[in-house]
Amino acid sequence: MLRQLRTAVRTGIVTEACAPVGEVQRIGERLASEIVRLFGRSLAIRQVDAGSCNGCELEISGLTGPHYDLERFGLHFVASPRHADCLLVTGPVTRNMAEALRRTWEATPDPKLVVAVGDCGLDGGLFRGSYAVVGGVADVVPVDAVIPGCPPPPAALLAGLLEALGRLPR
Amino acid sequence: MTRLGYGVVALMGAAAVGLGGYGVTGGGAALRLPSLLPLGGLELTLDPLGGLFLALIGSAAIPASIYAFGDAAGARRGRFAYAVFVTSMCVVPVAANTMTFLIAWELMSLASYFLVLHDRQSKGSVNAAWIYAVMTHAGLACLLAGMLLLGADVGSPRFADWRAAAPTLTPTTRDAAFLLLALGFAGKAGVVPLHVWLPLAHPAAPSHVSALMSGVMIKLGVYGLLRVSLDWLGIGPSWWGAALLIAGAASSLIGVLYALVEHDLKRLLAFHSIENIGIILLGIGSAALYRVAGLDALAALGLIAALYHTVNHAMFKALLFLGAGAVVHATGTRNMEAMGGLIKRMPWTAVCFLVGSAAIAALPPLNGFVSEWLTFLALFQNMRLEAVGQNLVFTLGIASLALTGGLAMACFVKAFGITFLALPRSDAAARAHEASRPVRVAMLTLVTACVVLGVGPTLVVPTLGSVASAVLGTAPEAISGDWLTVRVSGQFASVSTAAIAVVLAGSFCAPLVALRLVGASRRTRAYETWGCGRIVQTPRMEYTATAFASPFKRVFDFFYRPTKRLDIEFHPESRFFVERIEYENPTRSIFEDWLYRPALRLLHGGARAAGALQSGSANQYLAYILAALLLMLVLA
Repeated sequence: MLRQLRTAVRTGIVTEACAPVGEVQRIGERLASEIVRLFGRSLAIRQVDAGSCNGCELEISGLTGPHYDLERFGLHFVASPRHADCLLVTGPVTRNMAEALRRTWEATPDPKLVVAVGDCGLDGGLFRGSYAVVGGVADVVPVDAVIPGCPPPPAALLAGLLEALGRLPR
Repeated sequence: MTRLGYGVVALMGAAAVGLGGYGVTGGGAALRLPSLLPLGGLELTLDPLGGLFLALIGSAAIPASIYAFGDAAGARRGRFAYAVFVTSMCVVPVAANTMTFLIAWELMSLASYFLVLHDRQSKGSVNAAWIYAVMTHAGLACLLAGMLLLGADVGSPRFADWRAAAPTLTPTTRDAAFLLLALGFAGKAGVVPLHVWLPLAHPAAPSHVSALMSGVMIKLGVYGLLRVSLDWLGIGPSWWGAALLIAGAASSLIGVLYALVEHDLKRLLAFHSIENIGIILLGIGSAALYRVAGLDALAALGLIAALYHTVNHAMFKALLFLGAGAVVHATGTRNMEAMGGLIKRMPWTAVCFLVGSAAIAALPPLNGFVSEWLTFLALFQNMRLEAVGQNLVFTLGIASLALTGGLAMACFVKAFGITFLALPRSDAAARAHEASRPVRVAMLTLVTACVVLGVGPTLVVPTLGSVASAVLGTAPEAISGDWLTVRVSGQFASVSTAAIAVVLAGSFCAPLVALRLVGASRRTRAYETWGCGRIVQTPRMEYTATAFASPFKRVFDFFYRPTKRLDIEFHPESRFFVERIEYENPTRSIFEDWLYRPALRLLHGGARAAGALQSGSANQYLAYILAALLLMLVLA
């Protein structure tokens, strides 16, 4: 007990200092005010992996970590499209996932946003033309915004979401 | 012809309701035909308690007969037994002496035995009928012994004489008579551990008979317990009430625990009968204890709660059994795992079953809520007793009633959800059809009764109060209130189910009206159930009854003692290909393993030992006769 306390006092705080107000913070705050204006509380996002290499997923899950902490801006990942306002689709749409993506889109209540993430989501990217790939996300479901990049950095993801919100009918 | 028979029984039910109602409101009547039977003759007396049970039998017999009109009209077998069954049940509560009572009681048991044996080809049915016959006759033996004991001691077979002579009996005689009679009646009522016949016999009988057996026949066991603990033997020692309370607590909890893991729809309902009998016994036990302590108002409250629950259980359990009968008729199976999706195919039955489920789960504003609320209030006021031991017994009753309520709720979520919701789990369920018109009429009659008894306790409670005061011999009081509210024991508690009903209906309609007022879009889009984007969705992926019960099995595994059996058959070439998997997780009955099996082994052993006397040799028998003769001569 005593030893534990002593260690705790000696070691002090080891977490990194708060990031200075950067791009993420600026975009995030604009996003937060836009979300509050449009939805009242928060934007519920369902992430769909339609055949991605998981590079985009790494960046997206980075957003939820303590460093970027997207929940403070009113963004929220949910477990079912039934609860979602927005589908965040990554990867080239493979043949095996095309129908599942379509069903997910159908299961999401209207009005909904679809954001295609990454160069693959844009048009199939590196995998375009493969026998296993249908194409970009827009070839399967209507897309509201695209966030290019391979993979897109977190700030770009937030900026893309902001852009998608701007396209919502008023 | 068959229909005529059931019609006559329904009319008889109506007559029983009329006569019983007359008895409840204080009208007395007596019929005596000494020459008809030996040992006292046929003697019938109508008093308020008997009248209440008579009316109860009538009001359950009417819908059951209407149901039989639609469902069993083709079956020729069982008409006569059914008529005898209902008639003898009607005689039991008005019988006024030992002979009349026992003959009616035995006729009732025999007729129901033949009805349980309805399907003579099925081995399960024959086995169920056999166990039922043994249990019911063991009970009859107890009753016979108890009644003969009392009759010999008082010197009269008439119940009225017992009542008058009760204070003069020795405590030993009274205790012995109480034990024997209570055992006999508890066996019929299905009190744990004498309940084993119930989950076997009820599913084996046709559904209209199950409704009557569960709805009213086991109530006659309750009737007997009421007579024994509060009427015939006068005010007994406090251990009678305590024993009833403990039996009630055990029955309610054990009944509902078994029901939770049961996937046979009718067996599940049978286990719930055990639970509800337990709840009724909690009321009776508290009434007996309060009466000994001289708290007459509270005794009346406990008795009213018990009587109310008796009436309610007859109504909602008959409703549920008729609903289950309609489902079994439509799907051809009693196994819930093969049902599902029936709400689309049999909407009337589904709605009726839902009302019954809500009533038995004691949800306001239905009838089960009112009587369980009254039972709770009767139990809560044990602080006015100044005996620590008794208070502990009451606390046990309160705790078990609370747990029972929660578990019953879970069980009926399962029973309704798995049976009626989601996709059909078998072809038979997919091809199910709505029940015929008489069946629907029968169920709707009982639905109406459940709603009226739930919303109108202010009409029911004073009537039951007058019955209770007639039994206890006190002035009618205990429960007051206006036309809307029932008020118990002064300022102790009050409830208005009518107001609850209005609020519930209002809160259901308010959002609909509000949405329309603010002009919300009414556009709807129908799409299949979200299945994680899965392409093939089959009923095999649905939530099953086994899965629903599994957490309970795990929590209460000291009680269920489940065994696990996993049998996997691999492909002969490679263990990576599985040809067949069988998984079983059956529970083991404590009562069978620890009570009935050892008892039966003892009985078998005793019989074998006694069998040594029977050698079959004539010389030996002659020697027996000589020995007996010599013994008699010596003794004389």
